[in-house]
Amino acid sequence: MLDLVAEKIEKQLGSAQVLCGVSFELHQQEILALLGPSGSGKTTLLRSVAGLERPDAGKIELRGKVVFDAASGFEVPAEQRGLGLVFQSYAIWPHRTVFENVAYGLRLRHKAETEIRQRVGEVLERLGLGPLKDRYAHQLSGGQQQRVALARALVYNPPVLLLDEPLSNLDAKLREDARAWLREIIKQTETSALYVTHDQTEALAIADRILVLDAGRIQQEGAPEQIYAHPVTQFTADFMGSNNRFEGKVTEISGARARLAGEDWSLWGELRAEKNAGAAATGVIRVERLRLSDSEGPNQLRMKLKSVLYLGERWEYLFYLGDLRIRLWGEQRLPEGEYWISVPEKSLWIF
Amino acid sequence: MSRILRSLAVIGVALVVLGPLGLILYQSFLNEPFFSASARFSLDAYRYVLADTGFHSAFGTSLVVSLGMTLIAVPLGSLLAFLLVRTDLPGKKWLEPWLLVPIFLSPVVLAFGYVVAVGPVGFFSLWTKALIGRVPWSLYSLFGLVLIAGLTHVPHTFLYVSSALRSLDPAVEEAARVAGAGAWRIAVTVSLPLVTPSILFSAALIFLLGFELFGLPLVLGDPAGLLVLTTYLYKLTNLLGIPSYHLMAVVALSIVALTFPLVYLQRRMLRTAARFAVIGGKGQAFRPLPLGALRWAALALVLIWLMITVLLPLIGVALRSVVSSWGEGIRLSEVLTLDHFRELMGYPNLVRGIVNTFLIGGAGGALSVAFYAVVALAAHRWQSRWVTLVDYLVMVPRALPGLVVGLAFLWVFLFFKPIAFLRTTLFSLWVAYTVVWLAYGLRLISASLFQVKPELEEAARVIGAGPSVVCRDVTLPLIRFGLIGSWLLIFMMFVREYSTGVYLLGPGTEVIGSLIVSLWGTGALDLIAALSVVEVALVAVVLFIALRLGVRLDA
Repeated sequence: MLDLVAEKIEKQLGSAQVLCGVSFELHQQEILALLGPSGSGKTTLLRSVAGLERPDAGKIELRGKVVFDAASGFEVPAEQRGLGLVFQSYAIWPHRTVFENVAYGLRLRHKAETEIRQRVGEVLERLGLGPLKDRYAHQLSGGQQQRVALARALVYNPPVLLLDEPLSNLDAKLREDARAWLREIIKQTETSALYVTHDQTEALAIADRILVLDAGRIQQEGAPEQIYAHPVTQFTADFMGSNNRFEGKVTEISGARARLAGEDWSLWGELRAEKNAGAAATGVIRVERLRLSDSEGPNQLRMKLKSVLYLGERWEYLFYLGDLRIRLWGEQRLPEGEYWISVPEKSLWIF
Repeated sequence: MSRILRSLAVIGVALVVLGPLGLILYQSFLNEPFFSASARFSLDAYRYVLADTGFHSAFGTSLVVSLGMTLIAVPLGSLLAFLLVRTDLPGKKWLEPWLLVPIFLSPVVLAFGYVVAVGPVGFFSLWTKALIGRVPWSLYSLFGLVLIAGLTHVPHTFLYVSSALRSLDPAVEEAARVAGAGAWRIAVTVSLPLVTPSILFSAALIFLLGFELFGLPLVLGDPAGLLVLTTYLYKLTNLLGIPSYHLMAVVALSIVALTFPLVYLQRRMLRTAARFAVIGGKGQAFRPLPLGALRWAALALVLIWLMITVLLPLIGVALRSVVSSWGEGIRLSEVLTLDHFRELMGYPNLVRGIVNTFLIGGAGGALSVAFYAVVALAAHRWQSRWVTLVDYLVMVPRALPGLVVGLAFLWVFLFFKPIAFLRTTLFSLWVAYTVVWLAYGLRLISASLFQVKPELEEAARVIGAGPSVVCRDVTLPLIRFGLIGSWLLIFMMFVREYSTGVYLLGPGTEVIGSLIVSLWGTGALDLIAALSVVEVALVAVVLFIALRLGVRLDA
């Protein structure tokens, strides 16, 4: 059964078309990440699901029940959708204690005091907030506030949990721990989750499925491995991972392969878009796919080392050949000179 | 808030704002007061007023006073703002609340204070005469009036310019310093030019307030035979003996015709200012600019301004209230007395005035804040054309001097028979006060609402709270300190208010401010002095509480 269905959602804010007919489905107990750069419309989409924005067109169904339908003008207000939402800024009410923040949803549902105390206690315990229940927001660290926001959204067992960049306000170290923890908690509660983020690593780590958004359109949809390893559009290929780009012309096509050539180089790669010979094209390859080679071979470039950067766990080399610039990772410092660089044909995607 | 409540709030504002204005307009086209059976539509009133030389000269004087006080208040206020916000002026933390004090003092009390302090037979005049043989100044002159009006309006410029300077990124000044500029040069070439929109805004505001001046010209202009538009309007009441409402309506409209474009101009300027605001600093701690040897000269400037604008008139009022008589050859120690305060208690209307002032400030102020809160919450996060309508409606009372609003409400209560019985109750005064301070009150509440981040309300919506529950459980609790602060500020404004009650003054609606105005006509200086002291004391107590609670005076 589907927890959430969004059909052809369109939304205009001011003069900008933020969403241009986005559709997706959220399965039970699934974590779906909405991934995209800022301005891609991902937060607007999440807020539309929550009922905080009213789309101009489209339809939204929650567990088979229509909550929004632009065609008939029907809209269930946010407070009656029963969803849980974790805000980027956490939005912990500063005038209430941790306990009262979390209990509020149950109080609105007119639960008995004993039940409220028991359920809030449980969720606080589970999120490791037990000893903090009488504190106010300003007495909590960022990580603790984030957990309160999550507890507040989970306490009344919403069918779908919405998370708007929940980790982006944490510092880098904390964020890495929180990723694993957050996925575990969501999986334990057996709820489905719609997770908005601009951080590809976060999306890859937490989500079961990823929806890549750009300029209000879905670019690609699929499992994390699929999105990373088999991007179908140039945007997705570029947006994910760390990449090298080759701007050139398609000079030869042979089945699914094509030859991309620049001024003083040419390489074979996989053709990923409709191109004719002679057309301008862009080759994209992940930095980690490039290798230094000891000797000359097929699909290799002879390039000059320009500079070497030390990044801690690895070295980054910058090579050039005419206008072409390429980054490459390695394990030790390289002396100056010219090197052979091997470009695996399967990993160079031509768009 | 539900839609119905929101719409009701908008309709309520429209009614209290447009009703009185409409009545003035209607009255101006009649040849007699509207209650007269023989009243006909006519343009006679316009013909009479526009041909009257008295009106012409009042118009001219108003223009000169407005222009003059703007030229004094704006440069001085901008300079003081720079000194207090950006430099290492000694004792600036302690000085800052004092700079805003004149806003909370009644102009009629200040004017009276100047008369008894530096008037022809004022305390300081006579002491100076005893010392050097003559009084080297003359209070009763156009120049005296303009100077005092200018000095007492410095806080208005200070308010806007200082808040703009506070949000200016200190890095732009530090860059100038590193490049070699001194404090004075930085002020003139960097800081003040960057806050030009705020300076111009305050100039438009002061120019506007100049046309609404009443207490100062009434007390200071009268002996020199100077009339401005408001005092011309006030004299018109007594001049003809019979109610000349049609003439008064025309004069009132002529004031509005001058002020309304200014209010509109200000509104336009505010939008430009918002565009300038991108400079926005991060509010981080920064090192104030060192003034060097100039810091003591700067401190002297601030203190002299404070002396002249606050201490001089207040000392005058305080002294006058405890002397039995004063004139040449009288020694202060021989005439000290508390009789005036005792005498005050002998007049039931004055006692009622004091009680009423307290009631209208306390209970009335609380009710007004509640009304402002309902209107502000109605407009809060409401994407509707109605909100724009409220914006425009609020502009109307800003263009109406208190004197005119009071007059208009007197007519409202005379015109609409079903509510006529309210005219002699404090209710009539409360409505007029609430309308006069509508823009100010709404600004106070909106400033608090602005602090409430939208997510805090949205979080409650998603969890299951409807709009009115969100208002009750989230929005209102979050702005409760702002509401208390607003109440204290409104309390002081209502206590110091004097012109709005002038026409509504009657048995049951006496307040200190309007009593002082009416006593001024009879020359009862002893009673005026005692009443003024009571009023200033009341404001001082509330001001003290507000400062202790950390209420921002510069809202």
